[in-house]
Amino acid sequence: MEIVVCVKPVPEAETRLRVASDGKRLDVEAVKFVLAGYDESAVEQALLLKESVPGSAVTAVSYGPTPRTEEVLRAAIALGCDRAVWVEAAAGASDDPIDVARALAAAIRPLAHDLLLCGKQAGDDEAGLVAAALGELLGVPDFGYVTDLKWDAGRGRLTFRRSAETGVESWEAPLPCVIGLQQAWNDPRTAKLPAILKSRKAPIAKVTPPAVAAAGRSAAEKFELPPPRTGAKLIEYKTPDEAAQKLVRILREEAKVFP
Amino acid sequence: MTGRILVVGEARGGHLAEATLEAIGTARTLAGADAISGYVAGASAQGAAAEFARYGVSDVRWASDPALDDAAAGKVTPSVAAAADATGASLVLVGGTSFGRELTGHLAVRWNAAAATGVTDVTRDATGWQVRRPVFGGRATETRRLDGDRAVVALRPHAFPIAAEASLGPHVVPVDPVETPAGWREVRRLGTEAVAAGGGPSLTDASIVVSGGRGVRAPENFHLVEDLAVALGAAVGASRAVTDAGWRPGSYQVGQTGKAVSPQLYIAIGISGAIQHLVGMVSSRVIVAINSDGSAPIFKVADYGVVGDLFQIVPALTAEVRRARGM
Amino acid sequence: MARKFARTEMAPHAAECDRTARFPEEIYRKAYELGLMNLNVPADYGGSGLGSLEQCLIVEELAYGCAGMTTSIIANCLALEPILLGGSDEQKQRILTPFCAEYQLASFALTEPSGGSDAAAMRTRARREGDEYILDGEKCFITNAPHASLYTVFATVDPDKKHRGISAFVVPRSAKGVVPGKDEEKMGHRASSTGTVRFESVRVPARDRLGADGDGFSLAMRTLDQTRTPIGALATGIAQAALDLAAAYSLKRETFGKPIAEHGAIQIKLANMAQAVHAARLLTWHAAWTIDQGRKGTLESSIAKCFASDAALHVADEAIQTFGGYGYMKEYPVEKLLRDAKLTQIYEGANEIQRTVIARELLRAYQ
Repeated sequence: MEIVVCVKPVPEAETRLRVASDGKRLDVEAVKFVLAGYDESAVEQALLLKESVPGSAVTAVSYGPTPRTEEVLRAAIALGCDRAVWVEAAAGASDDPIDVARALAAAIRPLAHDLLLCGKQAGDDEAGLVAAALGELLGVPDFGYVTDLKWDAGRGRLTFRRSAETGVESWEAPLPCVIGLQQAWNDPRTAKLPAILKSRKAPIAKVTPPAVAAAGRSAAEKFELPPPRTGAKLIEYKTPDEAAQKLVRILREEAKVFP
Repeated sequence: MTGRILVVGEARGGHLAEATLEAIGTARTLAGADAISGYVAGASAQGAAAEFARYGVSDVRWASDPALDDAAAGKVTPSVAAAADATGASLVLVGGTSFGRELTGHLAVRWNAAAATGVTDVTRDATGWQVRRPVFGGRATETRRLDGDRAVVALRPHAFPIAAEASLGPHVVPVDPVETPAGWREVRRLGTEAVAAGGGPSLTDASIVVSGGRGVRAPENFHLVEDLAVALGAAVGASRAVTDAGWRPGSYQVGQTGKAVSPQLYIAIGISGAIQHLVGMVSSRVIVAINSDGSAPIFKVADYGVVGDLFQIVPALTAEVRRARGM
Repeated sequence: MARKFARTEMAPHAAECDRTARFPEEIYRKAYELGLMNLNVPADYGGSGLGSLEQCLIVEELAYGCAGMTTSIIANCLALEPILLGGSDEQKQRILTPFCAEYQLASFALTEPSGGSDAAAMRTRARREGDEYILDGEKCFITNAPHASLYTVFATVDPDKKHRGISAFVVPRSAKGVVPGKDEEKMGHRASSTGTVRFESVRVPARDRLGADGDGFSLAMRTLDQTRTPIGALATGIAQAALDLAAAYSLKRETFGKPIAEHGAIQIKLANMAQAVHAARLLTWHAAWTIDQGRKGTLESSIAKCFASDAALHVADEAIQTFGGYGYMKEYPVEKLLRDAKLTQIYEGANEIQRTVIARELLRAYQ
């Protein structure tokens, strides 16, 4: 099975967020970039399938600027991916998720690809659009929020479960297809030091991104951190029920954190 | 750009999903009722199609092809695209469920259009649409412009109010069946299991944490905190006073010498807000404090506060949460 | 990878192992699985084959998680270095390859009850008998001794020749007469295991002697030339951890109406701590780079070890002071750092000896 896994470099979780001088994005000065958390699960899944299906290989693909993208691809190689393809983005290139998906698709089309694996969403912009966009671009079925992925070699079908709001769905699909994984139902492995040392010299194929077709595009306009806290807004109420109703409404409509 | 909006709905048991009602509500703040159309797919969605009118959208496009019942987003995309063309919509709005987000990716590619998911705010100005959305786990917010003739937006669930009811007569227009894309023909959904109610999420992973402190007074009262957590699907935490007193195990402790948590929502019940506790939770996105002492330091770091008797407030809150979540 | 291992696998257990003096074998096994042990052994023999600077980068990250665990993890490097420096190809192949092939611990056995800094005055005797040596004596304060499967032992074949009479041997624990002692209860590095090991007429084949008779002392000194620098990195890791704790706390803790970070007294303290940490790190990196260039680096590594360990103690002390009363409480993680830092001034060449070495190396340039 030829497996392609899409990976993205994102700021590490402990990064202290700062606004860049143009006010539009994160200040990346001195920010450490790592393999996105959900992508670690995708790489792990790719490697598990490779190990269980003889004659398989895993190619890691990423779109992004230097040097963080190259480092993340090397991290993927250190984990066990056989090859890496880097679609190098120029500094200041579009971060529109659909442009990213187009760039990835252009790099993936010439590769043999039976199964494409993606993480659910990246820890930075959390758009979660790549798997579906790749499905549309490559003309193959796509499924997101997947757990329990298994390959039934006898019938030539993938079986998996998909977490949806209505419950857990069971599906089967033929190859080729795109699978977006739900996080952490597998336990991603840690790269060992000898593999990390070897990955430093591994070859990475470079691809130039396709020319961007001008049409609709999303562009970053503002990047804001929450304002410093100035003290609680106290809820006025006459009865406990009134306090409860007001609070729930605030959490839904104002704070937008209601589950 | 016509400014017409197409709200793509999801049918659940013959009714519109709550995420769709929120999307309708949002559409109605952006355009007049006559500039909004609805869409829903599947032979079983007839009732849902008619429901749009109850919320102020009378023009509804219904793709009644049984092959589209409970279909994956990629399979439904050509049909949605046909409806958007037929209505001349320039904005497609959908609730940000797993289906909605996947549909957004498909449509955006198909039209080479701008798209955004997890959106908490949508506005329009002279040049186009602007959306706001949380990023970095809610620790920051970005504003993005959506340029072009069309845009696709998936709204963050539960971030918008449900549409107000309006009694309009439904006008359901059929969408002609569109051929299923080739790759989907051998895909099969085998079944769906309802989500089993399991133990709560772990303290450090949870997106909501409910914590109790000394104000709870006795170990047998701590269930008030836990009941609220269950209602919210939240993890349970505690201040050091509670764990030192042995009311709950040390693993519950949030604070300098306990766990550091940064959920989307942190509710501190009967916790005064000593710095050793604050250090463990102050990076939460939204903090709510419930305490009988209005001068407690916790109110300085909380976003919202209820000064009152937690033994009355918390049960009322739990009941209201359960009601709001349909439990 | 080392940083992640230190913060997700080591640090969460550091306080518990410190409190109970538990030897966390499961963590050491994981370190071995990830390739974090035997860093200095070339890949040909199953190690990671890292240079000095690379080792320092890893050791500092590990020490940030827990100094005691780091001491036990890198003790293998100390024990195996004499084999790398003084062993024949046959010995390296025969001893190192099987050792590195699985999780095992080794100990460097130089120090004795009667002489630590005065290593040349050691009393452990190695008497030649045909093809063997009979080893008799006792070593103390040996890291990993109660758990090691291999000991690199220094013993004298001719006390009259003083340091020229010392030889080095590789002795397996399984040899008859090897008696490891119990774990000593220590002030710090309590996740590490330290103890005596007695040799009671242990028969050591001549082919397990490293180099020739009389080469041992020089071999020990050359070994310490290599291992001093990672200790500088270890101390730097402790110091950085102390600085991070103090700085973060100072932003949250308020006195007199503002965070203590806004009080001049604390700012000056933090500034001095930061200077010390940065200087310790750079001295360590410079020494490591010097060694990686193929130079002996004795002066540089002594300065690095001496400065970094003194800095770690001072920074940990000031970190406790920043925390005030809370810093004195065992529940807070900062007092452990002071207890851990203290050992770095004593082991792998006490700082008094380091200063002697520095003076000697320095003056050599003027003669």
